Amino acid sequence: MNAHVKIFLVGVLGVTLVLVALFVAVYGADSGAILRGVAGRTPLLLSGSADFSAFEGGFAANIVISLWAMALAAVAGTALGVGMISQSAVIRGPSVLVMNVLRNSPWLVVLYAMLYLLPFEVRIFGRFVEISPMIKATIGLALPVTANIAEVFRGGVGSVPTGQWESARALGYRRLQILRRVVVPQAIPIMTPNLMTTYAMLFIGSSLVVVTGTHDVLSVARTVIASDGDHVATAVYLYILYLFFLFCFPIAILTRWLEQRVRVRK
Amino acid sequence: MTLDFAWLFDPLYQRWLLNGIGTTILLSLFGIVLMFVIGIVGAAFLHLNVRYLQTPTTIFVELFRNTPPLVQLFFLYFMLSDIGLTLTDPATGRSIPLFTGFTCVVLSLGLYNGAIAVEIIRSGLLAVPSQTVEGARALGYTRLQTFRHVELPIGLRLCIPPMASNIVSLIKTSSQAVLVAVADVMYGATQIMLETFRNLEVMLLIWVVYLMITGLAVLIVRRIATTVRIPGYGS
Repeated sequence: MNAHVKIFLVGVLGVTLVLVALFVAVYGADSGAILRGVAGRTPLLLSGSADFSAFEGGFAANIVISLWAMALAAVAGTALGVGMISQSAVIRGPSVLVMNVLRNSPWLVVLYAMLYLLPFEVRIFGRFVEISPMIKATIGLALPVTANIAEVFRGGVGSVPTGQWESARALGYRRLQILRRVVVPQAIPIMTPNLMTTYAMLFIGSSLVVVTGTHDVLSVARTVIASDGDHVATAVYLYILYLFFLFCFPIAILTRWLEQRVRVRK
Repeated sequence: MTLDFAWLFDPLYQRWLLNGIGTTILLSLFGIVLMFVIGIVGAAFLHLNVRYLQTPTTIFVELFRNTPPLVQLFFLYFMLSDIGLTLTDPATGRSIPLFTGFTCVVLSLGLYNGAIAVEIIRSGLLAVPSQTVEGARALGYTRLQTFRHVELPIGLRLCIPPMASNIVSLIKTSSQAVLVAVADVMYGATQIMLETFRNLEVMLLIWVVYLMITGLAVLIVRRIATTVRIPGYGS
């Protein structure tokens, strides 16, 4: 763990210094005033409300959307992954095709397509339920990530020795039973670091939901820049860079630490 | 729901789309070149234990890998256009801004995917069999010569599979150029959507276009991989 703590400290300190240096280089003598102005916008950027009274926008929205998208993608990705290792070619072929199509699609295009593909509202049990931009953004983000999770699932299952399959079969388990009771429990430690990397990637991608009209951190940033003037734009984007870094970097370090532990245990 | 693709036969829209595809490919190519430069230089610094440069390289990699390329792009776009450097066009003598939207997109693509490339190339370098490296040292190659003539050529070949997905990711990410008004294929698409209101059809077509571009990139990488293959190293 020691080496990881060192990289973590070097990373956080170093990036903070680099960003502060960039900030001072851009603003020079005005740094203090600009910093105070942008710091005053912190509640808005973090929670979407001016005084932390509600958590419905800003950076909180990015976190909420990314968690829901990850949950959706985990379910869909596991199903797709099971399809990809199916013995019947009728299921395997389409699954692999869907995975490849989703993996090679730009997230921005999928987000736009979902914006127009999903209806404005749906009728469930006689009541009209509105599909908000946030739900569309969540589905749009979940789709490409489904492919990544299916890949992780296939890789994890593939890394379990085939002897496990054969012995379980000898004990009379059926294929899906073997997956559920024998192989997947052993694959989970191997899959965890990759799933965390996928989540970090998804969180980084959640910055794109600004195009769907969700109140995410970038759309709040646009509002702030529109009200405070163009000269704060660089400062606001630096601030958002730092927010994303502070969220994703610990995940990256934890992932590496887990990866090493899994490798050592093998 | 019926899909209407009649707008596709309008020559104006065809020209917009084709120009856009050209711009997207050009963006991606420049981005890939920058990505390789950053990746190889960064990996060399880390691998050769260059003093005073290792820590800055680590900080660079962590900063650009853990932040969204979109925010990097907006940041570059606003910061660099504030600085306002200009170049003189040799043909017309007019001064053009050095950091246009196009340049900023290429920079952000190169920085984000370059930071990932540093890690990919470094793991490729670590995968070079130690006997090969020791053999080169025994033959009298210096540390730098070993790197240049033995480790790098083999390491780059070993990291082709993850590099292919990094290149696909770069091409996919290039679609965000539209958000700083660079006329790539997404930009053409949004223009057509504004005129025809065939939003869904246009987006589906663009989806297919991107799948074709990324598919083509994967094919090219595979061809390169078989051409440069050294028997005994990698699959």
